[in-house]
Amino acid sequence: MTEPSAETVPPEIPAATEAAATTTSSAGTPAGVGPAGTIAVRVRDRALATPDAVAMRGKDRGIWQEVTWAGYWDTVQTVAHGLLALGVQPGDRVAIHAENRREWLIADVATVALRAMTVGLYPTNPPPEVGYLLSHSGARVLVAEDQEQVDKALEVIDDCPDLERIVYLEPRGIRHRYRHPALLGWDELLALGAEHRAAEPEAVAARMAAATADDVATLIYTSGTTGPAKGAMLTVANVDFAIRVLVDGGGFTDPPPGPSDLLLSYLPLCHVAERIFTTWFNAGAGVQVAFAESIDTVQANLREVQPSILFGVPRIWEKILAGVTIRLANASAVKRWNARIWLGVADRIAGTLVRNGGRHTAGTRLAYGIGWLFCYRALRVRIGMRRVRYAASGAAPIAPDVLRFFMGIGVPMHEVYGMTENTAVATGNRPGRVRLGTVGEPHPGVELRIDEQTGEILTRHGGVFAGYYRDPAATEAAVDADGWLRTGDVGEWVDGTYVRITDRAKDIMITAGGKNVAPSEIENALKASPYVKEAILVGDRRPYLTALVGIELETVGEWAQRRGLAYTTYRDLAEKPEVRALVETLVAAVNAGRAPVEQVKRFALLPKELDHDDGELTATQKVRRAAVADRFAELIDDLYTRRSARSGAGEVGAMGGAAESGARAGAGEPGAGAAG
Amino acid sequence: MNTTGRRTRLRGRPDLHTSYAQELTLFDTRAKRVAVAGLLVVALALPFLLTDEVLQLLAVCCVAAIGAIGLGLVTGYAGQVSLGHAFFLAVGAYTAAVISGDPDGRVIGFGITNIAVWLPAAGLLAGLAGVLVAPLATRLRGLYLAIVTLGLVFIGQHVFSEWSALTGGAGVGRPAATLEFFGQPIAATGPLGTRDQKLYWLMLLLLLGFALAAANLARSKVGRAFTAIRDRDIAAGVIGVNLARYKTIAFAVSSAYAGCAGALLYTITGFFDPSSFSLLLSVQYIAMVLIGGAGTISGAIAGAFFITLLPRFTRELQAWVPFLSAQPNEVPNVFQVETILYGVLLIVFLIFEPRGLFGIWVRVRNYWKAWPFSY
Repeated sequence: MTEPSAETVPPEIPAATEAAATTTSSAGTPAGVGPAGTIAVRVRDRALATPDAVAMRGKDRGIWQEVTWAGYWDTVQTVAHGLLALGVQPGDRVAIHAENRREWLIADVATVALRAMTVGLYPTNPPPEVGYLLSHSGARVLVAEDQEQVDKALEVIDDCPDLERIVYLEPRGIRHRYRHPALLGWDELLALGAEHRAAEPEAVAARMAAATADDVATLIYTSGTTGPAKGAMLTVANVDFAIRVLVDGGGFTDPPPGPSDLLLSYLPLCHVAERIFTTWFNAGAGVQVAFAESIDTVQANLREVQPSILFGVPRIWEKILAGVTIRLANASAVKRWNARIWLGVADRIAGTLVRNGGRHTAGTRLAYGIGWLFCYRALRVRIGMRRVRYAASGAAPIAPDVLRFFMGIGVPMHEVYGMTENTAVATGNRPGRVRLGTVGEPHPGVELRIDEQTGEILTRHGGVFAGYYRDPAATEAAVDADGWLRTGDVGEWVDGTYVRITDRAKDIMITAGGKNVAPSEIENALKASPYVKEAILVGDRRPYLTALVGIELETVGEWAQRRGLAYTTYRDLAEKPEVRALVETLVAAVNAGRAPVEQVKRFALLPKELDHDDGELTATQKVRRAAVADRFAELIDDLYTRRSARSGAGEVGAMGGAAESGARAGAGEPGAGAAG
Repeated sequence: MNTTGRRTRLRGRPDLHTSYAQELTLFDTRAKRVAVAGLLVVALALPFLLTDEVLQLLAVCCVAAIGAIGLGLVTGYAGQVSLGHAFFLAVGAYTAAVISGDPDGRVIGFGITNIAVWLPAAGLLAGLAGVLVAPLATRLRGLYLAIVTLGLVFIGQHVFSEWSALTGGAGVGRPAATLEFFGQPIAATGPLGTRDQKLYWLMLLLLLGFALAAANLARSKVGRAFTAIRDRDIAAGVIGVNLARYKTIAFAVSSAYAGCAGALLYTITGFFDPSSFSLLLSVQYIAMVLIGGAGTISGAIAGAFFITLLPRFTRELQAWVPFLSAQPNEVPNVFQVETILYGVLLIVFLIFEPRGLFGIWVRVRNYWKAWPFSY
């Protein structure tokens, strides 16, 4: 793959600013205003070049309302003028607390146009976290979606001395009822902006012209599985680097994304991954973005939009796979029989694809072509992936089985790797060069090495962040003097160029017997089953490994129904001996083929679903191990003390359906565990 | 944010609606357009493939379909059970016959033989009759409405059999309207085709026009008001549907369709007498709507063809079942089989496939639509 722009990044330049200076000079943005092509500049240039092309779609009363580039840019300018009228200065923070929607992008781009920083808040953030994020970032303006988010902000506004204005998008329940002086409607902001724009039409353009590569474009708060969230500062240069490598350079897709591509935006925009795919693919390559109505309607929205580029976190892929499994199990006999044949073929196709790095052979092409008629085409239409030409999984480790399934039915699946602190630019599986179980090869222009002693992955490139906001100590710990970013992930090289992630450095467990175990691999093998939603391995400084398993209410409920098992609540279902036996077979299947020290000796079923509000999950649905260990301490103690018959290593094949799914979870066993 | 409101849909993404117009399009997918076009080509080519006798029967089918669509609008869409369809058919038939009838004949006639005059007039007058009946419908519903409209049939039958100056009297009858278009006879054997071929084409094109008009009405505000009334008239009233107004519209449109169908129906045979417009005729149309599928245009058409072709099939049956007789005075004969089959079919459909022929189609379609899942 030729990569002309990549060569322009001199590997020996340590400081981000200098690297940015070189990168931007070669970026060749059409109208080079200032040293950096901010996303605002990119949006403006698209509006000038293709004013009538569709920039984004949002569903409104059942209709996907389209916004053209001209309309997009026009609104951005008005909003930017409105923010100017509110007194937003360069370097100020503007927080956005909303689901993915058109106004999110508009507010984001308007903020960047003013050389201010965007701070995204997760819609699920409870009030204390909202208070922390608003006060820590010192946001002056908050764009809040609706009454729910406004309520959260008003609850903590006294702890946020910098917060002056709360702009709400949905007036329902707020207008004519709330009298707080800080409140301002979106339409009022637009009116304010229009007025300001008429008075000083060049004010925003002047701000944009003054932009430098060092301006911080956005603060992205990391989810904080261990401590309070830290705000990573991504500069204009970082964003520009990421766009050049991942979008213009086709770091992910081949051919690179373009205006004819469609994309569904549904993961939180405050996360760097969705920011890349939604905001930067949109502004950088003109990809049309459609906003899902909510995270619950993703599958329906996927069917409608049929995106051509699809990014998902492992949980999404697992959930879609679980949905397919359940619906096939409930299909009529002929359909079940048809699906069994063709999914078997798909599995063999996937096997060949895995051996070939994702490339088809003549044989698999023929098999796929026939299967396409009978199953794959229809299946892909139903799950909304008929037109997907590039699918990616990232942000957390995923079981290779899940990826294999999607590869088999013809969805080109790629695991990618990156993190907020390096603007999500690190490695990716390239189309045609896929290696399952690895996160792919470093992108061109990216320096990546693995520390000999600790095995930690280090990266250095123009996308390395400018530091944590108001936390120089943490910044120092993350980036060394030479500009190498410590990712906190332990990994190893595979076949020279591919990187395999073992686990988060801090998650690696050392059992009482002195064995190192990487929990995520075993956890993901468990989670590959449609019946398992959460699996948390326990075993640090313990004699053997145990697991806390959370069942997937939907699929296990369906499974119970088919067996005529009555249940009332999640807890009731989880405590059924039949369900226990089902999970037992799954655990046994995962244990099979593993060294005894890496086997889960016992497990317990969680009596409740883990929840963000209870502090067990982060906003990105990652498990907070410490919180879970604390909350379910009794359950864990039981696993290590009580000598009862409730042993995890049960017999496999007690039940037909369980054995079947167990076999699927066990098939394609990922390589034999971690370094020991 | 100005939105584009694009009316054409994105290629390959049939569910991505960017305007309401897209969701309301009659033939929204390419598969549907291709299927309808294919069906139309076959229908238009039929006169070259079939005998005149069959074509005449198919022409009757087309006219019956127009009447069935009309009943479908009031019963299937608006949910107002009407047993009075025969009465409206009669009003239409006599209006057309009177307008185009011979002024010097033994029955009333004005001698205006132009179809462009008598067909709309028949529809208009029948529609007016519907409007007169509508106040009943706004006060009654369900079984009561059915009984009242039943009364209409009996009143009509009495009037038509007694008023022999108009109808020629029971057992005698009068000639039907003349098929002429501005002095040009439409259905006459000539170099372009036989009478039956032309008749079939004419009725097919008229059916097409009436069906499209009904489909357009059904997807409009009026059509949505109809279905709202059918699903729950009180709820419809609460959300702002003017019940009296829309029930009147339903009866008017339905009767107008019946009037046109009545006017056309007897031009094929050329002669009719008042005993044709009995309760049996109403029940036949109800059967068309129910067997075809209530609340659909294509269902009504399918039902009309099915019911109209049924006697023909039973007659063919005779060749296969030797103990059946073609003579009405022998037992068992094909006419008895026809009557029995008719009743059995109604029962079977109402019990096992209440959504009619269209329901079968929907089921087949859904089976493949959900592939490879079941839901």
